[in-house]
Amino acid sequence: MAGRIVLGAIFLVAAYAKLRPQPGMGWSVGAIKTSLLMFAMQVDSYQLLSSSAASFVAKTLPFFELLLGLWLISGLFARASTLLTTLLLAGFFSVMVRTYAMGLEINCGCFGPGEHLGAKTLIRDGSLLALSIAITVLAFLRSRMVARSIPEPEVALQSR
Amino acid sequence: MRQFSRYRDRRIFRAASLAVLIVAISLMTGGVLFAQTHHEAPAKAMQPADELASKSMGSKSAPITMEVFSDFECPSCRMLYEQTLRPLMGDYVANGKVYLVHHDFPLPMHKYSYEAARWADAAARIGHYAEIEQALFDNQATWSADGNMQKYVEGALSPTDYKRVAKLMEGCGLSAAGVKPASASGQAAHGCSLDAAIEKDVALGKAIPVEATPTFRFTYKGKPYGPTAGFVSWQVLKQFFDQLLTQ
Repeated sequence: MAGRIVLGAIFLVAAYAKLRPQPGMGWSVGAIKTSLLMFAMQVDSYQLLSSSAASFVAKTLPFFELLLGLWLISGLFARASTLLTTLLLAGFFSVMVRTYAMGLEINCGCFGPGEHLGAKTLIRDGSLLALSIAITVLAFLRSRMVARSIPEPEVALQSR
Repeated sequence: MRQFSRYRDRRIFRAASLAVLIVAISLMTGGVLFAQTHHEAPAKAMQPADELASKSMGSKSAPITMEVFSDFECPSCRMLYEQTLRPLMGDYVANGKVYLVHHDFPLPMHKYSYEAARWADAAARIGHYAEIEQALFDNQATWSADGNMQKYVEGALSPTDYKRVAKLMEGCGLSAAGVKPASASGQAAHGCSLDAAIEKDVALGKAIPVEATPTFRFTYKGKPYGPTAGFVSWQVLKQFFDQLLTQ
């Protein structure tokens, strides 16, 4: 549970870092749009998606991270939320490894602008992925154990 | 058993529904935010190029300033120049919306980039920076292999202008034969009058800090944006500029 909440909090921080207005600007729709377009430049610099796709990802990903973070913290449907998180982090990590291997010198974009993509960011995101995998496996194991401990409905009816 | 299976199916259905809902809300929020039409700010009349004797392009009074830290030998910098900065110069810089400032940031890993920066800076001093920037980026693959960039500089300028540039390069390690500089170590040469400006750019970059090339930052209404590193396409950059101009 603690790991799930930590992961959820990290997603909330990541979403906030992408949505927060640039220094000297207050919170407004225009300021959020500007921040998202700054993020679009970082997504584009990975040279993986077309310009329109990079723009689309940048405009939706922070909101997705925000909702996923809240979902993780809520504990509802833990298996689904942790599985989705693992898939997302695996995607992020593989893109980062590819970029690093290609020798592209870019910003990570993981927690807002200005963070250089390097060995440190790879270690950090790799650790997050490992944590997410562990939490997902635990969530599935826990649910299996709970399922085994509950008597099957038909048997329970017959025993009445 | 069937009831239990139904119970499990319902839970899977609910979890999947929640996942779909989250994806849908993310898409809708992003969509609604950006659905509003962009009103382009009126373009200011282009001012006379008062910065010909420098490495800047466009009107100094343009609402947006874009500063680019680049290295003439870096492939991503060439890509940025050819695919993004060229259309930018032809459109938003020419229309007075963006003031483009070039800063040299020759990386030590590139053998000839410091020398390329010297040629470009020498050309900037006589008001021909744009021609040399284009010649160097267009022929990057060739001169970065042998260091012979002088012929491209010569080809991009008139004989008179080339002589002026070559004179400015005196003391910068240019050999007597005038073919290849004696020093191509990527270091500032003692006695080269052009190196002070390059070193100033490098110091500015390090203070930001610039960790890779190309790196760029923006200023709009006195507020800084960035820095951000790596290649960015013209379409994405244009969207960002349009957003700034609507604020």
